[in-house]
Amino acid sequence: MVFTLIPVVLSLYYSVCDYSLLQPPAYIGGANYHELLDDPIFRKSLTNTLLYAIIALPAGLMVSLGLALLLNVKVAGQTFYRTVIFLPSLVPTVASAMLWMWLFNAKLGLINTVLDWLPFRLLIAGINAILGLVHLPQIETPIGWLTNPAWALPALAFMSFWGVGHTVVIYLAGLQDVPSELLESAEIDGAGMTRRLWHVTLPMLSPVIFFNLIMAIIGTLQVFAIPYIMTGGGPARATYFFTMYLYDNAFRYLKMGYASAMAWIQLLIILALTAIAFWSSRKWVYYQGK
Amino acid sequence: MHYIRTTILTLLGLTALAVMAFGGRSVESHKGQVVVTYWEKWTGKEAEQMQQIVNDFNQSVGQQKGIYVQYLSMSSVDQKTLVATAAGVPPDIAGLWNSQVAQFATINAVEPLDDLAAAHGITASYYKPVYWEGCRFNGHLWALISTPATIALHYNKRLMLERADSLRKAGLDPNRPPRTLDELDRYAQALDMVEKTPNGQKRIKSAGYLPMEPSWMLTYIPYWFGNKLFDEKTQKLTLTDPDIVRAFEWVKSYSVRLGKDSMTEFTNGFGQFASPQNPFLVGNVVMTLQGPWTANYVEDLKPSMNRWKFPKEKEKGMSVEERRKNYEWGAAPFPSAVPGLTDVSYASFDTLMIPRGAKHKQEAFEFIAYVNRQDVMEKLNSLHCKNSPLSQVSEQFIRNHPNPYISVFEELARSKNARGVPPMPIWPEVADELGVVAQRVYLLQAEPKEALQDAQNRLQEKYETFLERQRLRAKS
Repeated sequence: MVFTLIPVVLSLYYSVCDYSLLQPPAYIGGANYHELLDDPIFRKSLTNTLLYAIIALPAGLMVSLGLALLLNVKVAGQTFYRTVIFLPSLVPTVASAMLWMWLFNAKLGLINTVLDWLPFRLLIAGINAILGLVHLPQIETPIGWLTNPAWALPALAFMSFWGVGHTVVIYLAGLQDVPSELLESAEIDGAGMTRRLWHVTLPMLSPVIFFNLIMAIIGTLQVFAIPYIMTGGGPARATYFFTMYLYDNAFRYLKMGYASAMAWIQLLIILALTAIAFWSSRKWVYYQGK
Repeated sequence: MHYIRTTILTLLGLTALAVMAFGGRSVESHKGQVVVTYWEKWTGKEAEQMQQIVNDFNQSVGQQKGIYVQYLSMSSVDQKTLVATAAGVPPDIAGLWNSQVAQFATINAVEPLDDLAAAHGITASYYKPVYWEGCRFNGHLWALISTPATIALHYNKRLMLERADSLRKAGLDPNRPPRTLDELDRYAQALDMVEKTPNGQKRIKSAGYLPMEPSWMLTYIPYWFGNKLFDEKTQKLTLTDPDIVRAFEWVKSYSVRLGKDSMTEFTNGFGQFASPQNPFLVGNVVMTLQGPWTANYVEDLKPSMNRWKFPKEKEKGMSVEERRKNYEWGAAPFPSAVPGLTDVSYASFDTLMIPRGAKHKQEAFEFIAYVNRQDVMEKLNSLHCKNSPLSQVSEQFIRNHPNPYISVFEELARSKNARGVPPMPIWPEVADELGVVAQRVYLLQAEPKEALQDAQNRLQEKYETFLERQRLRAKS
């Protein structure tokens, strides 16, 4: 508690100081916060982070929930499939990043090799035809997943699915708690699979979904290691996230006060989004026995 | 079972107590010598090579003077040094980068070395000017050098001969490198190998030259256009000067000529510098801007390029000119865009600094001075495959250096047109921003003038705020 509380309180103080770690902090009032508002890189990193969260957060929750539902079906080899889905979560971050850099390589990567197969070429041609009709830019192949500013951020968001194993396990545990008598009653009442899912499973699972949502909000808004290794924030700052700019200010530009101010803004954003999630939870989260 | 657990926990507890009680002291009293802790950035082979120098010191000067250097190589050495310094337990020596001299000096993270250097007879005349100046900031000496470098044009002689017809057709000599920037562009174009795909797209098979390969050199491209990036007198960045705009227009011209998409697709397949997929080693690019260390990387990753005509053993006793014939590649000054501006280069270096509050400054400087002895410096920089920062260089150093073109880098280091990083404490931030400017320009996202204007406005304001806060700090 002491080791957490003291840095938190000190960072609040440093956020109103000019502080470079080796010079005594000099009080400058709200200058760091004021400067941040005028800083285009701050705005860019914040926009990138929110955009990443908008793509990765709902998609990640849906993919992990979908996988958990599939893995909950009693079929032969269920344990094997569960292991396969969980396995990527155990791969160290740097190793995952290196692996995905090769997968995303525009010239030699597996993803573009697969996309070059005829059915995918036809699919892309079809999408391009539709894009052409609505005057939107075409998809140019081979796709520069990490080198094209338009694709780099979505590629990283897509890559985030690689680590859904932990979330899937939490969903699976939640699914074991869905009362079988409710599912059976619904089935006797004539509810099909979809209606059972929508009216029984999901409401019963909603506390778990809510927990994963909160964790995902915190996780996506703090994204750092993977883009730092894979793109370094490029190309042209297309994947330069909030925490990366915070890190650069603290440890590369030695502006600890500025970085502390950024950290507090990040905390406030996460708190605000979490508060909204809590407020909305009254409408969609159901606890058994209440 | 209960006894086993209790025994293990007791043993662990006792071990922890023993480490806390005696761990630190046992290091301090190493064979009755003063233990100097030295943190360095290098890993792998380069770390082992520095270890050799440390061992040499410990067995010679160290023994005579009662000093033992404890060498530790690590990642993020700058950040770890800063945190340790702030905590009051810094290493005695830190191996940092040239771009951090002004930054660390400004925040009092390192000790001035003027008196210690003077006491050891290390003065300006001992060093090549560009390196001596790079170690100084605000009238004081803050660092000395471990390994320096300059950068030069590297060209693949074999590929130039293979494409001799194209070069001759363009009126160019395949047996020599380009001498002006205009000539470099013409060589690059003649050496390009481009094909049309069945759907009519341009596909680059090999490029004569690409300014963005490697991208980390782009920050310093304005030096070859006659600009220093920063005016020390007015304390203003000069990013919107016509020379710099012209430099980035030149970068852009390659994206326009080769086609941005074709070029991006081509560079996507490039491997990292220290990998066998290095584009210069595999022939993806015929010419590149690199440092003298290239010879070592070629030796490790594609040794055949260092054995073009005869086995390596035959090189013994040969003159440098004869040795050069055995190398598929050559090195020459990178041509300048300004007529009469010759031997331009970016001079970088690795530093040895003493963090503030280091416990054994005198002893630490004994080691730094030892590294700066001509024979030791030449040994270290032969191992690291770099030039020497010292004004005096022995004939053997040039003759036996693993890079037969080391004299090119030596001459560049002596040149009055060799430049280090601009002396400003926020340079790391400026360098990052210039890297982004270069990316925006070669991805054709922004016009050079516009991108540079954005950077100038933002960075100059940041720098002025920084200076103002330092002034207020000094007053209080």
